[in-house]
Amino acid sequence: MNASSTRSSHDGGLGLHALRRRFGAHVALRDVAATLPAGAITAVFGPNGAGKSTLLKLLAGSLQPTDGSISWKGATLDTRSAEWRARIGVLSHDTHLYAPLSARECLSFHARMHGLRSPDLDAALDRVDLLDRAEDRVAGFSRGMRQRLALARTLLHDPDVVLLDEPFTGLDAHAAQLLEEVLRTLRDGQRTVVLVTHALSEGLALADHVLMLVRGAVVLDTPSERLEADTFAERYHALVDAAEIARATTTGAPS
Amino acid sequence: MSAQDHDRVADDRAGPGWAAVVMAVAAKDLRIEFRTRARTLTMAGFVVMVGLLFFFSVDRALVRPQDIASGLTWITLILAGLIGVGRTFEIEKADGAMTGLLLTPAPRDAIYLGKVLANFILVYAIVLLTTAVFGLFFQLDYSNHPGALLLLLAAGTLGFVALATLFGALTAETTLGESLLPILLFPLLVPMVIYGAAASSRLLLGRPLSEVEGQVRMLAAFALLAVSVGAVLFGQIVEE
Amino acid sequence: MNARTGWFGIGMALAGVLVSAYTLWMVFFWVPTEVSMGIVQRIFYIHVPSAWVAFLAFGIVAVSSAVYLWLGDERADIAALSAAEGGIIFTTIVLITGPLWGKIAWNAYWTGEPRLTLTLVLGFIYVGYLMVRNATDTPERGKRFAAVVGIVGALFIPLIHMSVYWFRGLHPDPVILNPEGPTADPEIQTTLYVGLLGFTLLFLGLMALRYSVERAHRTLELREAA
Repeated sequence: MNASSTRSSHDGGLGLHALRRRFGAHVALRDVAATLPAGAITAVFGPNGAGKSTLLKLLAGSLQPTDGSISWKGATLDTRSAEWRARIGVLSHDTHLYAPLSARECLSFHARMHGLRSPDLDAALDRVDLLDRAEDRVAGFSRGMRQRLALARTLLHDPDVVLLDEPFTGLDAHAAQLLEEVLRTLRDGQRTVVLVTHALSEGLALADHVLMLVRGAVVLDTPSERLEADTFAERYHALVDAAEIARATTTGAPS
Repeated sequence: MSAQDHDRVADDRAGPGWAAVVMAVAAKDLRIEFRTRARTLTMAGFVVMVGLLFFFSVDRALVRPQDIASGLTWITLILAGLIGVGRTFEIEKADGAMTGLLLTPAPRDAIYLGKVLANFILVYAIVLLTTAVFGLFFQLDYSNHPGALLLLLAAGTLGFVALATLFGALTAETTLGESLLPILLFPLLVPMVIYGAAASSRLLLGRPLSEVEGQVRMLAAFALLAVSVGAVLFGQIVEE
Repeated sequence: MNARTGWFGIGMALAGVLVSAYTLWMVFFWVPTEVSMGIVQRIFYIHVPSAWVAFLAFGIVAVSSAVYLWLGDERADIAALSAAEGGIIFTTIVLITGPLWGKIAWNAYWTGEPRLTLTLVLGFIYVGYLMVRNATDTPERGKRFAAVVGIVGALFIPLIHMSVYWFRGLHPDPVILNPEGPTADPEIQTTLYVGLLGFTLLFLGLMALRYSVERAHRTLELREAA
């Protein structure tokens, strides 16, 4: 019973209501309204500067909207609250790891920051195939290994909502496959996943729902089953071009 | 993850205890410092070198070392501490570790106090080294109320570390970086130097405890103010 | 609000200029020469009101900063900025007239006089405040950082004040530094208070003008963004 519909039912999932975020004179997100269904994987696509990372930061509570609000299962969220931070896991470009510490120590520290009393670190490390390197310092890890450890750290406290910013970038094949498996397992476990990615085909294959942003505005918001995998790339580029043209004509200048 | 596991973790999700966060952050910082020894060695080397240079700069035929040792000690403490604490957020900037830390439910003021605790231990160790080095080079006699001396040095160090950690977090996010730290910090250190140097100077000269009580109290007030202000405002600095 | 602040600012500034000009007239033509310190003492009528304004301005900076941090009102930030820029000007006046007076009167640029020392420390805090504003990647963070510097500075000023005066008490200068002179003549007091009024009005006027300019600038930015 995956809630993968786009009926604007605000009682399920992450609701984005007239979200606006401005940085000085630059508007990163304008009137973004959508519902990212709970217990499903939503892929967020868009060209550079579309506001995808900004959206993710708003969901994580690192940034606050200039206007608008975010809701979770119908109730307006205070994304800055400790309660919200306790239920989200964020995986971004930065690994948030401490190089002089061992893999186990990094996880242990993270667990204590979440107040987890008896975390199963071994299981967490095993899930990302790092159990045999548990005592080794992160400084000696490859990029792929660090990403895997970061993933383990993100999931350690069993978050309800997992936010990922371009997690496939720079991953080796092994780590990428592992990540896909983990994401599917999360979805099967009724967790909500928001995946920002440039990888159109991989993202589409994983996603139950697709959101697309161009220049801070929503141009596509639909369940993935309504999209055709073969033609999606074309459609993507068409949407980007259309939005660019629209922007150029309204502002009267290319920017 | 099975339903049972989920429940178990959910029970765990009572949120982190405040004191537990302070301890965990302090332990993490100290563990990292212990592994890399970067800051400790830099500060220790600085102190010894400065002690030696001061030794060469003082003509003991004209000046009694005891008269100026106190002031020199405090200045050296500040400069060494600046080196050490200025780098406190470099660890956190690498790989965006601080961002990750802020995404957890751990309260900001607890994170701040954890860092202050770790920095205090580090810098106080250096302060003790400075006292020993200067005692050696200038043949100082610490036998007059050494406990009071250690206490007042601790109070001054705590206040210093609290302010330096707060502003260190700030300068780490500026384009000028660490070079901005002295400008922000030094005006606020005036009371610390005035009361601290006067008190330690008197103790060195064999004055009774009653003459330094007032200064020790002011140093304690300084430390308390610094820690409170830092705890409240740290959250404002690290927010994006 | 903006146009009104602008006119208010011009009005205040004009009033300030008039009163200050009157003060100057009083300083040069009316108030009698202070007996013990001579003609040079007249610098005092510029020096003391400037110091008063410098600290008043910082008080405004601190309160506005606190309002900005806790309520997020942009106007509070603009107020803090305007007050800081005015404040640092008057701080500079204090730091120039003080040593000047010292050199002429007692042949010493720096006598460790606690008020002057405190103003010097204040000057550094102002500099730090303004530097931090412009040193961040995003302007929002700069505003927040500056507010922190302003609040911390204000909270520490009492302690700094106490320590500087205590230090002074340990090393009293043979020179009697009572700027009002051993006898506080009514003319001297009057001139002083008129000067205080004039400088305060002038500062408030400058602050209001700066405020209206900055407010217009930021409102324009907002319109462009939409």
